[in-house]
Amino acid sequence: MTDEIIGRRKALKYLSVLAASAAGQEFLAAWLPAAEGGLPAHAPHTTAGQTPELGSTSPFSPKFFSPRQFATVETLTELIIPTDDQPGSKEAQVARFIDFVVFSAAEHQPHLQEEWTEGLALLDKLSREKHGHDFRDLEGSEQESLLTEMSLPENDPKASHPGFAFYRLVKEMTVEGFYTSKIGLKDVLGFQGRTYLSEFQGCTHPEHQA
Amino acid sequence: MGSQPVYDVIVVGSGAAGGIAAFVLATKGLSVLCLEAGRMIDPGEDFHPHKMPFDWPYRGHGKPGQYGKLPQGMGWKITEWTDHLYTIPQEDPYAVAPGSKFTWTRIRGVGGRTNVWGRSCDRFGPLDFKPKSLQDGWGDDWPVTYDEVAPYYDHVEKLIGVSGLSEGVYNTPCGQNLLPGFHARCGEWLIKHGAEKLGIKVLPLQLAVLSQNYDGRPECHYCGACNNGCDTASRFSSLDVLVPKLKKLKNFTLRTNSVVRTVLLDKDTGKARGVTYIDTHNGQEYEASAKAVVLGASMVESIRILFNSKDRNSPQGLANSSGVLGKYLMEHVAFNDIPGFFPQLAGRPTTNDDGPGEASLYIPRYYYSKDQKKFQRGFRLQFWTGCGEGPGHGASLPGFGSAYKKRIKELYPANVSIGGYGEGLAFASNYVEIDPGGLKDRYGIPQVRFHTTAEYDHAFAIRDYMYDEMERILKASGAEILPYQKVNPSPLGAVTHEAGGARMGDDPKTSVLDAWNRCHDAKNLLVVDAASFVSHPEKHTTLTIMAMAYRAADHLAEELRTGSV
Repeated sequence: MTDEIIGRRKALKYLSVLAASAAGQEFLAAWLPAAEGGLPAHAPHTTAGQTPELGSTSPFSPKFFSPRQFATVETLTELIIPTDDQPGSKEAQVARFIDFVVFSAAEHQPHLQEEWTEGLALLDKLSREKHGHDFRDLEGSEQESLLTEMSLPENDPKASHPGFAFYRLVKEMTVEGFYTSKIGLKDVLGFQGRTYLSEFQGCTHPEHQA
Repeated sequence: MGSQPVYDVIVVGSGAAGGIAAFVLATKGLSVLCLEAGRMIDPGEDFHPHKMPFDWPYRGHGKPGQYGKLPQGMGWKITEWTDHLYTIPQEDPYAVAPGSKFTWTRIRGVGGRTNVWGRSCDRFGPLDFKPKSLQDGWGDDWPVTYDEVAPYYDHVEKLIGVSGLSEGVYNTPCGQNLLPGFHARCGEWLIKHGAEKLGIKVLPLQLAVLSQNYDGRPECHYCGACNNGCDTASRFSSLDVLVPKLKKLKNFTLRTNSVVRTVLLDKDTGKARGVTYIDTHNGQEYEASAKAVVLGASMVESIRILFNSKDRNSPQGLANSSGVLGKYLMEHVAFNDIPGFFPQLAGRPTTNDDGPGEASLYIPRYYYSKDQKKFQRGFRLQFWTGCGEGPGHGASLPGFGSAYKKRIKELYPANVSIGGYGEGLAFASNYVEIDPGGLKDRYGIPQVRFHTTAEYDHAFAIRDYMYDEMERILKASGAEILPYQKVNPSPLGAVTHEAGGARMGDDPKTSVLDAWNRCHDAKNLLVVDAASFVSHPEKHTTLTIMAMAYRAADHLAEELRTGSV
């Protein structure tokens, strides 16, 4: 018995904290379709809290961000990893993953919530100063131009920009969210691993071995 | 308590050290009680190697901040795949002296860290056992030679199954009964050719992963997720390989959830007579008795048990008449890898490069110099190439947008990084002690404090030389090097290759253990884990832990047979 309890420790810890509050119950109901508002029967191996990908038909309401903020987060993630000839953040629903992670940071890492809230406010401030409107109301080219200015210290260590730290936060969490999604990792990147193979051939190109 | 059995041997720990010792002793017919601090681990329940990042709520990273601030080198270990296996530092803290750093990786469970270990299995060479007399006059020699240990390397390799048969090179012997090595990836071939242009040899990497069916276990299925536990027992773990054999023996008893607190000495003879342990189910303390006690609880835990066993006759800790218990801790000199990519591989179709979860090739030590002005001894280099479970180095490039995304995709199959381990040196000033601040673990047992730094002159000097060599090899292989920062050597423990603290030696005044891993102060008390190490060559540690444990247990069995204990 004890072994089972220990084995489920992580899942139970996560679920119990959420289930303790009304907001948490609502959150679980949205994120755990099988749970029907309650706790799943098999905690350790369910995909509790798994970020839904495609096929979610019900309208999404963010749990941490306000609808206005969430629209900005969506725009930002789609600027970092856009949809081109391949799917991007939009299809992989990276903004939803970020909302989920930042919401969940309340317990152990509340400053992540502050970084996002303050970062989004700063972004709108910079946007109004430069272009007269909040970021999400700018033309696409204006959004890209502001983000490029914010990113300048990446190329030039001597440069600085008040929005650089937030740009990095957005970029890091977008890259993480995209390339850990099924669409990003498997469909776009082409990762084929973590599976059973009957043999490992290694390099099959004579030109590399010669 | 009068009806308690007296075992031939109590073995503390069930991982690489304890598991091997218990196996040798029990298969020779001795009655063995193995005490494991953690629970039984069930591969079917506990290992999830084929879960993808997107199968976890937080894509494998855990809820933000869930694991606290992890010590350097531990971030990749504790994930949603494994957080139920590892001891999480903030939940079970240990003390670190001001200005010190130590990364202590713990798994309390049957098999210990062999459940998720790195699996590299190289033998120490003749010079490695005698660094003082055969290399540079610095430090101390082991009280054993390579030739004395070699038969036990053979035994262990046969028992655990090691792939990577090679001819070996100078001071890097290879067992001759290994399974074939694994096929190399594209980038590994390019490094091999590049290094060979410089006269540097590249060899198959020895891994405790099966390249063929062996001993009732299937060949590796190449999912690459060994660090999350293996569901087919295709890599060695004490849990999957030794425990099933031991469970068939009536003279072997495994008691889980039993945290050993002290070793008990007989007041009249001064010999070990048993241990006290705490049953974690009820928190009660119990005694177990035996003719001999073998500590294989891991470097830190075995030392902690000896310190906590202090009594009137040994106020500095048991087996510590020398005063060196806890001292001379070591770790590889390690730091970040150099990232790069192969232009000739960029934009190629992606391939499944998981293989045996490690590289198939590596660069054994090639630097041997009598010139010790800069640093002593040598280093090994290893590299990772091809398509991994993530965007790779391209993601660290500046910018965003479609061009950024396309560049990541283009470089994905071309990724390469090269890193290495240098020999770590033993200093008395790097030590572990019982926390003078009175920290106790969750069972009320006094906890340790580390007093260690990896930032010593030799470490910086060998690091600088290694960075230069790694760049030289990448360039010779046609790789382009991406920007990287030179960092300070990683803390002791960060590679999970911590060793020393109860070192072997011929002189009881300067060492804790003799040439058979017996305490100088109590010959029926053995320490068979990496605490016994005298030096820390560039080679991996676990195969030598197992070979020394095998050798010590073999000798103890003979002593028990002849009644000379």
